[in-house]
Amino acid sequence: MRVVIGEDEALMRLGLTLVLEQGGIEVAAVAGDAPTLIAEAAAHRPDLVITDIRMPPDNSDDGLRAALAIRVAQPEVAVLVLSQFVQRQYALELMSDGAAGVGYLLKQRIADIDGFLHDLKIVQTGGTILDREVAGALVERARRTDDVVEALTPRQRDVLVLMAEGNSNAAIAQRLEIAEKTVVQHTSLIYDRLGIAESDAHHRRVLAVVRFLAR
Amino acid sequence: MRSTSLFWALAVIGGSLLLFAAVEIVLMVVGPVEPTWLILAFPLMGLTYGATGIEAWRRRPSNRIGLLLVLGAWCWLLAGLANVEDEVLIVVGQLAATVGIAVIVHLVLAFPPGRLPDRASRWISISAYVTTTVFEVPLWLFNPSSPAMIRDHPDLDRLAHWFQRSLGAVIFVAFVVVVVRRLMAAPPPARRVLAPLLGYGVFTAVMVPVSANVLPVLVGIDPLTLATIQLAVLMVVPLAFTLGLLRGGFAQTGELVELGASLGADLDRPELAAALSATLGDPSVEVGFWLPGRSRYVDAAGRPLDLAVGRERRRVDIDVGGRPVGVIGYDATLLADADLVRTAGRVVAIAIDRQRLDVELRASYEALRTSRARIVEAGDAERRRIARDLHDGLQGRLVLLAIRAQRLVDRVGPGDARDQAQEVRFGMDAAIEELRALVHGVMPALLIERGLEAATAELVDRMPIPTELAARVRPLPASVESTAYLVVAESLANGVKHSRADHMWVRLDVIGSELCVEIRDDGVGGAATNGGSGLRGITDRVDALGGRVDVDSPAGRGTVVRVEVPCGS
Repeated sequence: MRVVIGEDEALMRLGLTLVLEQGGIEVAAVAGDAPTLIAEAAAHRPDLVITDIRMPPDNSDDGLRAALAIRVAQPEVAVLVLSQFVQRQYALELMSDGAAGVGYLLKQRIADIDGFLHDLKIVQTGGTILDREVAGALVERARRTDDVVEALTPRQRDVLVLMAEGNSNAAIAQRLEIAEKTVVQHTSLIYDRLGIAESDAHHRRVLAVVRFLAR
Repeated sequence: MRSTSLFWALAVIGGSLLLFAAVEIVLMVVGPVEPTWLILAFPLMGLTYGATGIEAWRRRPSNRIGLLLVLGAWCWLLAGLANVEDEVLIVVGQLAATVGIAVIVHLVLAFPPGRLPDRASRWISISAYVTTTVFEVPLWLFNPSSPAMIRDHPDLDRLAHWFQRSLGAVIFVAFVVVVVRRLMAAPPPARRVLAPLLGYGVFTAVMVPVSANVLPVLVGIDPLTLATIQLAVLMVVPLAFTLGLLRGGFAQTGELVELGASLGADLDRPELAAALSATLGDPSVEVGFWLPGRSRYVDAAGRPLDLAVGRERRRVDIDVGGRPVGVIGYDATLLADADLVRTAGRVVAIAIDRQRLDVELRASYEALRTSRARIVEAGDAERRRIARDLHDGLQGRLVLLAIRAQRLVDRVGPGDARDQAQEVRFGMDAAIEELRALVHGVMPALLIERGLEAATAELVDRMPIPTELAARVRPLPASVESTAYLVVAESLANGVKHSRADHMWVRLDVIGSELCVEIRDDGVGGAATNGGSGLRGITDRVDALGGRVDVDSPAGRGTVVRVEVPCGS
């Protein structure tokens, strides 16, 4: 896998490089601001772009907008954005074009090296990853405002959160320490209740769940 | 009265006087009247009174002396009708002549301010008018030589005459007493000028009726000679009094006292200049106000002062405690006595100085306000910097450490070392999480990155109680957005903690040049502004930015926190 990184802060850059090194991933270029990131992505045509949301020149959400621009210009490139505080709106914006291969994580998740590399793989192969913080916040909010979600059992809500995170059924089973068959039971019921079409493709599932939760 | 309307009013008065005089002359020529110079005597006197009265009125619009003289003019013009060959007109004329005396009494008592200053003067004046009009009538009713006789009754006639004369005598005595008392009470410089003038007025008012009644009996004087003397004496009155009024060589204490009283009200500069001008009776008075910051005078409109120059222009400097405070420029032909102007200046000095204090106070208040706003902005900028430094610098370092710890875990085989490394790794995670919360508390990232509406939406989303947001805002200055966010955060936190509400509402609106923030809940109410230190800190912040905080929390009916902050254009 070849990646292009967008990060202006030296220590974070070092951390990312170490983690990617451990995963045997090649870093094609490192950009220190949003315009350079777009240029490097165009020049190197990586498999994946990893970028901080907050980048120069404006230091507001330049990185996010650069990522969205790259997705338009180069749809085959997967994108993972990192942020210090996960916001629901950023997640929705990232997923607004409905395409696959997008991820949104808190910066500190990269310290969980194995988990992070695993997430990279998923995103690069067209999956969708949402940080469990934002997934949890989405479900919690839905629980308060939506009767359908309110009516789910706590266990079913846990499954829903994990679905929103972008986990496969197997991963959900592992996390909750239950059988995969049970997971399938839960997900079927959830599809039914939420009115979502059944789909195995992870990103479509995440998309559907998040769309439902965010309305 | 404004000068154009005054001009036209006076022109009309003058014109009508002239017209009447002309008509009268014609009537008398047709008459005929002997001797011929008498034809002109009354019209001339009327016009003299008229001309001086109009001039006095024009120059001293606020002073009624002019009006009195014009009234006198009409009396004497009408008095001339006594020489015409018509019984009714003769009665009118003779009546008017006596009223003319009452006018002179009024004139003397009201000089120089133009108003009757005390009750005694008012009574005397009223009595004089009544005696010369109402009580004059009976004299015409019972005398055969009168064209208005209703019955020939010599006894009643004598009674009427006696009554009128006695009343007249009483009035005159009172008149003289009041005038003498006033002269005694006046300060010597004023007395010097007033005495001859008032004395002559009294002499005239007494002499004319007395001479008419007494002299022919005592001395056997020829009626024509008597009339001539009387007319001559009467003619001097308007000339002397008008000259005295216009030269103004006496202290107008009454008006100055009034000026002092009116300064108790809060007058601005133009009102002050106008009051001074009215008091001194000089419409061309200019007042300059000292600006200590610029070390020069400005006029009532705040423009640099240019005192008019001219042969008769003088100036008087006003100071308070040795400091220059103002300057008065005036016309020396109207105000011959500089002391008067100086006295008036002293009266207004305090008021002028207060104006200055007012301006200085306002300026320093403004400076204070801007400095407080700057402090709030500086505080925000600092917080922003801390948030960024913590985020960029420290968090990055912690994440790196966590990574190194993890790599250690991955590298080391199972055992005690690995367990410890794992502990370190978890510890790092906790530290990073705490740092994240701290940074969020200092300055939320979303507030910096996406602005007020986005940050509030996120805040509202994470509330444990259902909360709705209605927002209609555009990008605003950073300190306004941070303050508004803090207001919402604090109010929502208070609501969650204390109000036992089921639902909360947040509203953000830009109305005109102000941001309006409203947080409502349907809880138990009873919140107070000076309750928690959190809300007090916010009140200070809002206040420093020039805004307002309003907490409405009736017990049992929920709480509404309303905040308005000016946000520039």
